[in-house]
Amino acid sequence: MNGFLHYFLSALDPMSNLGFSRAFAKLMGSALPSWWLEVVLPVAFIILPAIFVWLTYLVRPALVRPPLSARTTQAAPLVSVVTAGRNEAATIGRCIRGALLCGYSNLEFIFVDDNSTDDSVAVAKRAALSVTCSRHDTERVRIFPSPRRNGKASSLNIGIRMARGEFIVIHDADSIIQYGAIQHWLLPFADPQVGGVAANIRVDNSGVNLLTRLQEIEYAMKFTLAKFFQAKISIMDIISGMGGIFRADIIRGLGGFDTGLGDDRDLSTMLLKQRFKLGFSNDAVVWTTVPETRYHLWRQRMRWRRNIIKIRVSKHRDMFMLGRYGFANAVIALQLPARLLIPVTLLIGLLFASCERGMEGAPEIIITYYWIIVLFLLIRILVAREVASTPKLINFPLIFLYPFYVLWLEVPNIFAEWSELLRIGAKHPYVPDHIWEEIPWW
Amino acid sequence: MTASAHLDAPVVEARRLELLRRIAELGGAISPVAEPQAKHGYRYVAPGGDVENDLAVLSRQNYLEARFFDRVSLCPKCDGCSLNVREICPGCRSAHLASEGLFHHFRCGYVGIPPEFAPEADDGYRCPKCNHTMHHLGTEYDRLGKAFVCRGCGLVCEAPPLEAVCLACGARTPAENLVSAIAFSYLITSRGAEAVRRGRLLGDDDEPVRVADAAVYRRTVILEFLTHQMKRLTQLSEPFSVLLVKREPGGTDAEGADQPASNLRRLKGCLRDVDLIGQLADSLYVAVLPHARKRDAETARRRVETEFGPRSPFALTVAEIRERKDLAAALAGLAKRGDAE
Repeated sequence: MNGFLHYFLSALDPMSNLGFSRAFAKLMGSALPSWWLEVVLPVAFIILPAIFVWLTYLVRPALVRPPLSARTTQAAPLVSVVTAGRNEAATIGRCIRGALLCGYSNLEFIFVDDNSTDDSVAVAKRAALSVTCSRHDTERVRIFPSPRRNGKASSLNIGIRMARGEFIVIHDADSIIQYGAIQHWLLPFADPQVGGVAANIRVDNSGVNLLTRLQEIEYAMKFTLAKFFQAKISIMDIISGMGGIFRADIIRGLGGFDTGLGDDRDLSTMLLKQRFKLGFSNDAVVWTTVPETRYHLWRQRMRWRRNIIKIRVSKHRDMFMLGRYGFANAVIALQLPARLLIPVTLLIGLLFASCERGMEGAPEIIITYYWIIVLFLLIRILVAREVASTPKLINFPLIFLYPFYVLWLEVPNIFAEWSELLRIGAKHPYVPDHIWEEIPWW
Repeated sequence: MTASAHLDAPVVEARRLELLRRIAELGGAISPVAEPQAKHGYRYVAPGGDVENDLAVLSRQNYLEARFFDRVSLCPKCDGCSLNVREICPGCRSAHLASEGLFHHFRCGYVGIPPEFAPEADDGYRCPKCNHTMHHLGTEYDRLGKAFVCRGCGLVCEAPPLEAVCLACGARTPAENLVSAIAFSYLITSRGAEAVRRGRLLGDDDEPVRVADAAVYRRTVILEFLTHQMKRLTQLSEPFSVLLVKREPGGTDAEGADQPASNLRRLKGCLRDVDLIGQLADSLYVAVLPHARKRDAETARRRVETEFGPRSPFALTVAEIRERKDLAAALAGLAKRGDAE
């Protein structure tokens, strides 16, 4: 029977020539605890949240996708959508139209133009006019053209200062709020401890090229599955600037965003330090435009990673004082060292296993490891597809390329991490010089 | 028409003729002057009881040409022009707004209205967010343009809506809902000049179709011809041409005389019998040349230029009309040239 099974599996095994079945069998029978601890368990940690989400969705779907109440006694609160941008003429029009036509009537839109050199303001005014039908309808749409470039954080602060809503949505000028999203976005605020809620970020331009398709898979896993799991166990560390909603009194009490840092992560961390919970809404979908070229993607990821280091290691390093801000925040604080150490441990594990088996066994192990990752990825995107209908089915075959995509993205990430730790090129290109000279050296 | 109206008719005609005569004495044009007590804020300095109505009637009868002078906003409730227009808060509709530049502290990014920043003894301010002092405008903090702050509800907005309060009836109206009336200035036409010369208003049997004693059709008639020609173009695909004629103010004919009527007759003589000339404006005429391509129209233009010589009183433009937009483009080009001159 075993002989037949081995024969049968060999026929199905696409990597039979490289001995996947043999290596997998050896791996499963391995008594090496280091292999399990350093290779298999870290990957399993990645898959466990997906299993959790899937099981929750099977047993209690309303926990994952809470339905809107058919009858509500409370009036819809005023929601202010604040967007800041510079030279966003290409996207700001549909951003405004998307927000104003998202099916939530008690909404105002505030666009702060950060001294654009293109016709962003004119485009924004035209878009607003096309929806409100009145150039004097300044109650719903307000556009503030900044006379000087101030950076994104300060521009958002202008918008927050002008906002009147009970809740403030912060989102990028290249993002679009889906119809009906605001109603779902507000649901987690039933819990008074929730200070902000992250949207389910989906990729709008996934069909452009291979890079955007891979990003759709990445967003499905990072912004749909992972966020839900993190929010449920209160270890969500960021409400993305692409789409987040906050209680206005909290955000005003904090004085808005600080300059010179990644605005979204900084604000999220400040909320966490004040012991507010960060929520997530699966049905509050915000469509975003992802980078379409390698250059722009690497720049984006370097910016993100530098911000993580700058905020966690420099500005909010007191988060590492475990217990000071509660258990959940300690777990969040430990995510950073884990994020730095996991690639190292994986590498060490692979080297260790290779040494154990000799160099001739290394290809087998790497291939085995690759297939394990692909298997886990398949499970994750199947769950994401089941729960949130993303990614598109046509992008499923790309999971075979996805591990290489992640490895490829580690290049700018590692470069950015060490550059920031060593303070090389610390000047943030998105912060104007006159602001940079004044802000504290975090 | 009532009996009293019949009895008043000679009086009204005399009054209107007097008005025409007065306009001719003023140089052929009359413009309104600002008068706060007038119904729509303007009045015409001319004899007569109901000058505004008389001018409108004379304009309709083609004795005067109305030209835009100003637009007056009026209360939709009482038609009054005494309006107090001011910005209001989009939130609470209060007019108690203050125009203040927002302060922006570079160090912490805080943005707020000036009263939020506590003044310091050394002419600086203290930021309410980071508690640092700010001294130097431009390097430590900045003023972010101009914003309106509502003293009632605290709302900050960059472009508050406008609202008008009628000082006569007290009605509050959003500025975009105000009604408006146009004040015109009036220029005497050749028909008006002819009426002044004859000492009576021209009756229906005088010049029903043509302008005064000139050999050209009146504006409404020639526009009707043009409309018919455009219909033929659309339905039968028959292109035609137009010869746009602008009478130069100082132009004279070959003999050095400036005689509009005789010049127009000479112009008509240069064209075919089927060609129609009409007056579009005071010094602007159009000749409709049916079944004529551009080459034919150019021939007609050269014939006119030859007739009048180098000191021609007319500036001529030729356009072939193949589509509806061609006519509009030709007229717009002529108007633009007139403006430039």
